[in-house]
This record gives sequence, structure tokens and C-alpha cells, in this order.
Amino acid sequence: MGDIHQLDLKSIAVNSTKQVFQTMLSMSIDVAASASDGVVSGKRVVGSVGFAGDVMGNINISVPGGFAKEMAAAMLGMEPDEIEDDDEVNDVIGEVSNMIGGDLKSRLCDAGFPCQLSIPNITRGTDFQIDTIGWVRHERIGFKKDNNGIAVDIYIKSVA
Amino acid sequence: MTLKVLAVDDSKTIRKIVAKAFAPYDCQVIEAENGIEGLAIAGKDKPDLIILDITMPVMNGTEMLQKLKAQSNLKDIPVIMLTAESGKENVINILKMGVKDYIVKPFKGEQLIDRVSKLFTLKPVQVQESEKPSCVSHQGDITIFTLPERIERQQGPEFDTMFQQTLKGMADAGQNKIVLDLHKIKEVNMFIVRLIIGIVQHGQRARVKMHAVGSGGLAAELKGFQETSELVFHETLDAALAAF
Repeated sequence: MGDIHQLDLKSIAVNSTKQVFQTMLSMSIDVAASASDGVVSGKRVVGSVGFAGDVMGNINISVPGGFAKEMAAAMLGMEPDEIEDDDEVNDVIGEVSNMIGGDLKSRLCDAGFPCQLSIPNITRGTDFQIDTIGWVRHERIGFKKDNNGIAVDIYIKSVA
Repeated sequence: MTLKVLAVDDSKTIRKIVAKAFAPYDCQVIEAENGIEGLAIAGKDKPDLIILDITMPVMNGTEMLQKLKAQSNLKDIPVIMLTAESGKENVINILKMGVKDYIVKPFKGEQLIDRVSKLFTLKPVQVQESEKPSCVSHQGDITIFTLPERIERQQGPEFDTMFQQTLKGMADAGQNKIVLDLHKIKEVNMFIVRLIIGIVQHGQRARVKMHAVGSGGLAAELKGFQETSELVFHETLDAALAAF
């Protein structure tokens, strides 16, 4: 088994996030100049998937609420005002999280850290903070799409 | 005969994308949101093909596949796995379980259709001649494909298919020049943009030389998308024809 400190989590997350946005949403996104540029505050939606096995971890994708609706519309081939309820938005953000998390999980397995992926879950609201405890590594990557920030947070620790 | 496809995925969005991909073809897409539902529907409806996700609640795709292969009346139904997990071991395990193919998410509907076309002959949906809008005209060896002012969302696959058929006709005739005439389009929305992107991608794959006619606003909008960023726009049809 390798060393989780040697994993290039940032490159993996950048490549998979850009690819998911381009392929599924036809959206080109850019890596923000600094991780703090990608900070998402106010009304927002967070998609999370966990992985567990020889390595444990979590990946969270945070986007502003309005942009989440644009993402849902883009993936469904609709206009944002045609998205009628939060379920459609949740489903799309969950699926985006699943694809980004699935790619990270696959890279971890290939690097000698077998693990399983959880189904996604969604957190939405205006005034909340996600705290994490006990992770060995944390990477935050900020992205920009027009004026919208997108934050991808990865937390991992090895178990074995 | 209509191809019966069972799409098993816990994401309604992915099931919609799968259904949309098959819409231009003579296919019936049935949906299930987990392995248990998928098995029940497979037993009842006997689909010709199953598109199966892996990570699902209640019963995941791997377990459903094992149970499917254990039933003599269902084990021969071809299965294409649609998965977010592309790790080498995962792929080997999937293939060992007897699936026909696998597609890694993120994916485009066209990729799915390409893979399915290796297993089945997909027949385009037959549209009555009287219902077909006329989009295609010719000027010498140049084909002109004109989109109308208004296109309803449900007509999108029809125009996409029509464009692909036009490209096939051009290839058969040994022609490779086409003008995409978009000058009638007044209202630009994501649906129209996506339709045009799809059409341009078909043209790129067919390696035809393409020029477009349309408003400056539409040209500017399409410049912002990677797929259409290099499409050359002209203000008039004459200018586009002259560009060849």
C-alpha cells in the first residue's frame, strides 16, 4: 500500500471536476487563482460522497444555490426557470458529486487503497458550516464559472 | 421491432439522459431506480438491453447483475454498465461478471448510442413525410441546412436525426460542404445552443467543411462554447456560400 501523502489529490480533483462540468453540463470552468476565491457562502448546495476501506474520506462540492439550478438545467437540457423543485437540483448535484467522487475513488483503488463509494447526500441552506475531525489530509480546490464560485473539498485518512 | 431498453439508475437525471439519447430511435426505454426494481421489471418486461448503474441504494448494480446472471430466463440479456468508477480492478471485475460493455461517467448520450450500436441496429424513428419540416436545400455541391425560427423542445431529436441523415446523404454523394443556416433563429436559449452544439459535433465527426449564417448575438453566444468556438459565422447565406 502506498502513502496517502504522495497522492496528487489536487490534480485528480481538478481534472475530474473540469471533465464532469464539460461533458455533462457543457460548461468550461477555471481553477480559481487561490482556494479562497472558490469559497461559497450565502445560500448554497453541497453534494457529498464518502468512501471507506483501506482509506476513508469524504468529498464535498459546494455551489451557490442559483448556480446549482443552472447546473440542473444544463444537465437536463432545460432552462433554469423550468426547474420546478429542489429534487431535480439535488439529483443533479448528487450525480455530479458521484462522478467526481467516483473518479477519486478509482484513482485511490489504482494507487493501492481499495475502498467503496457511498451514495451521495445533499446539504442545502444559508447559514451553516461543515466541520471535519481527524482527517490526515485536506485539499480545497476553488473553481470559477463566470461570477460563481465552486469549492471542492477532499478529506482523507488511511485506516490500515 | 422496437428495441426495449431498461435503464436502472438511482438518478432520475441519468435516466432522463439515457431516455433522451434513445429518443431519435425506435426504442422503448423503461426505468428502474434500484436493483430490486430493475430485477422485477426485467423479469416482467424481458428487455432487449439493460443499462445498469453500480452505486445505488437498496440493491446496487453489481448485486443486481449477479442475480440476473443466476436466472436462466434473464442471464442472456446484454448489460452495459454505466459507472462513475473506472478503477482497473473495478473494470476487470465488471467484465468478469459477463457484461457486454461499460461506460464511465461522465458520458454523453452519443457515446451510449455508439456502444449500443455495436450490439443492435438502431432504427431511426420514422416520421411521416407530411410532418417533416423541410430543412435541406442545395446550391451546387454545397448543402444548406436551415433551422426554423421556432423549434419545440420535443422536436430537438428530430432535427438532430435529420442533420445526421443529411450528412449521410452528403457522404454517399461524395460531398463535404455544408452551410448551417441559423438566420431565422431569434430566441437563443440553452436548448437551442445544445441542439446546435450537437449538430456541429456531428459535422466535425463527419469531417465536413461547415460555415454558419446567423446573427452576431448567436455567433457571440456560440463562441463561448468549446465545441462551437471555431464555427465561422457569416451575416448572409451568400457570404457563407462564397466562403467555400
